[in-house]
Amino acid sequence: MTTETPRRPALARLAAPAALVGAVAIFGLVAFSSGPASADTTTAPGASTGTVPGAQPGTVQQTPTAVTAVPSPTAAAAATSPANETGIYYTDLPNSFIAPGQALFAANCSSCHGAEANGKIGVGPNLQGLGAGTVDFWVSTGRMPLAALTVQATRKPPRFNRIQTLEIAAWVQSLTPGQGTKVPVVHTASADLEAGNTLFTLNCAACHTISGAGDALAEGAFAPSLHLATPTQVVEAIRSGPGNMPRFGPGNITNTEARDIAAYVTGVLQHPNNAGGAGLGGIGPVGEGFVGLLIGVGVLMLVCFWIGDRA
Amino acid sequence: MSDKSPRTEGALPPATLDDPHLLPSTRNPKRMEALAALAMLVGTAGFVAFIVAYWVNASNRWEALTLGIGMLGLGVGVIAWGKYLMPQGPFVEERHDFHSTDDERSAFNAAITGRGGLEVKRRKVLLGVFALGGGIMTLALLIPGVRSLGPKPAKSEDNQGPTESSLFTTNWKKGSKLVTVGGRPVMVDDLELGGVLTVFPQGFEGSSPDQVILLRLAQLGPNDPPYPIAPPGRTDWGVQGYVAYSKLCTHLGCPVGLYQQRTQQLVCPCHQSIFNVNAGAVPEFGPAPRPLPQLPITVDPTGQMRANGSFDQAVGPGFWERP
Repeated sequence: MTTETPRRPALARLAAPAALVGAVAIFGLVAFSSGPASADTTTAPGASTGTVPGAQPGTVQQTPTAVTAVPSPTAAAAATSPANETGIYYTDLPNSFIAPGQALFAANCSSCHGAEANGKIGVGPNLQGLGAGTVDFWVSTGRMPLAALTVQATRKPPRFNRIQTLEIAAWVQSLTPGQGTKVPVVHTASADLEAGNTLFTLNCAACHTISGAGDALAEGAFAPSLHLATPTQVVEAIRSGPGNMPRFGPGNITNTEARDIAAYVTGVLQHPNNAGGAGLGGIGPVGEGFVGLLIGVGVLMLVCFWIGDRA
Repeated sequence: MSDKSPRTEGALPPATLDDPHLLPSTRNPKRMEALAALAMLVGTAGFVAFIVAYWVNASNRWEALTLGIGMLGLGVGVIAWGKYLMPQGPFVEERHDFHSTDDERSAFNAAITGRGGLEVKRRKVLLGVFALGGGIMTLALLIPGVRSLGPKPAKSEDNQGPTESSLFTTNWKKGSKLVTVGGRPVMVDDLELGGVLTVFPQGFEGSSPDQVILLRLAQLGPNDPPYPIAPPGRTDWGVQGYVAYSKLCTHLGCPVGLYQQRTQQLVCPCHQSIFNVNAGAVPEFGPAPRPLPQLPITVDPTGQMRANGSFDQAVGPGFWERP
């Protein structure tokens, strides 16, 4: 045994303590970033207006992807419209939309759903009676037209712009007037985000997860991420229950409550307040565990070397 | 292994035919040699036949057959040679023991423990503080374990009114109003077909053992019955498409809150147990051992949803005294 170990270069001696400090910092980031942000703001960052449901003023002629984007903060100031006590009113689409809607439907939808939207057995479901809001949800989220036959339709850039989407919805609605879900106009400016937080936790978080990231269900089905949803789409999904999602009528979730949920999803979940800086997608223990194992265990090994290497 | 085992010194001796390791595993090596040679000859004949077949431009079938016979015969011969005539092993490479001598070991132990012991004796304060901390830590780890051993779950007969500690009964009684977690009574037209709501007995909102998932089942398909297929004896446990089940998973008690309304399945988020709510919530997948207990429900004349009795069994996961 030698009585004196040779001194290592200064850089090598500093490496392990530096790694320890770095690891503590990273763990701090992760720990304080987990979970959704608290609903400590009082107004949502965006709102829709009453002119065209789900669209911002002056954006109706834009490309479809632009229409689905999160409403800009400037739109909140323009949110003045009648019937606004609940924050939601359900609009009747103009009759002038019906004829162009029929043409769009015949060209893009009828091969699966039939010329009269009454479905084809084993190919596409009957759409009659579902209402314009249901059609708007499926088309505006890009789920329809379907790209491939999978267990569940997935969100993708919509094929139609806002007006075209509503024209298709108007035509399907005109087949069964008064039935199904109408297209909601959602004013999130005066929403109660704290109530939205509670309602989301009670009704939505079981499947969509507390951060809205979505998760797997049974037999290939999954609850999708909510990070691209617009307030209109959130309310349409609540009311129409697309796919395997349960339907929530006004007797279960009132219009005001649906508005609060939509505001919470678009205002808080889509803009998480990751105080530490790295939210890691909010997907829970898998992602955080991966980072913990990779960085944490690696750093622990460095620390072990450091402890064992007494001067 | 010990030091007495013979060691090979220097290089291995050259191989000879009287090497004991060359003993074949078969009892009759001559016969096996003849058989292997025969197989290889058959294979050789096959290859010869293949050349002929190719030369005379016979059909593919003959080429395949002759080539197959050739490869099969040669292969069987080689395998027989290797399996029955080649040295079989296992071969042990002798190696000396790595053990230090007993004297060396005791000297090393004395040096380490002696010095460490001297250092411990010198720091009496540190030793005392460490013993104190270790003792308190042991206590801290023991207390939760001891605490969780009791109290015993109350039996239903000696249960003085429902309590949180009762594992056998819930607060549901005949006539209990179904209310939301906020206390709002549930009316019969509150849920859409395909809707779902977590309800509690009035007065016990938020009580975990009492939570019930209320579902209004939509028709599965155009040719299916409109309302749930009730198990025998439970035809009047649901009303107008409504069924109510305990929300506690029968596996480990997680809240079974993930409802797929189109396939009418409840999914437990913890271990992916799947319950078919259209047929008495029987588990279709996953570790859950029993169906979710069903709560009989009815509608009173004012349209309010009420329990029509209590659960017919203990809710939640199994426990030792569960009947």
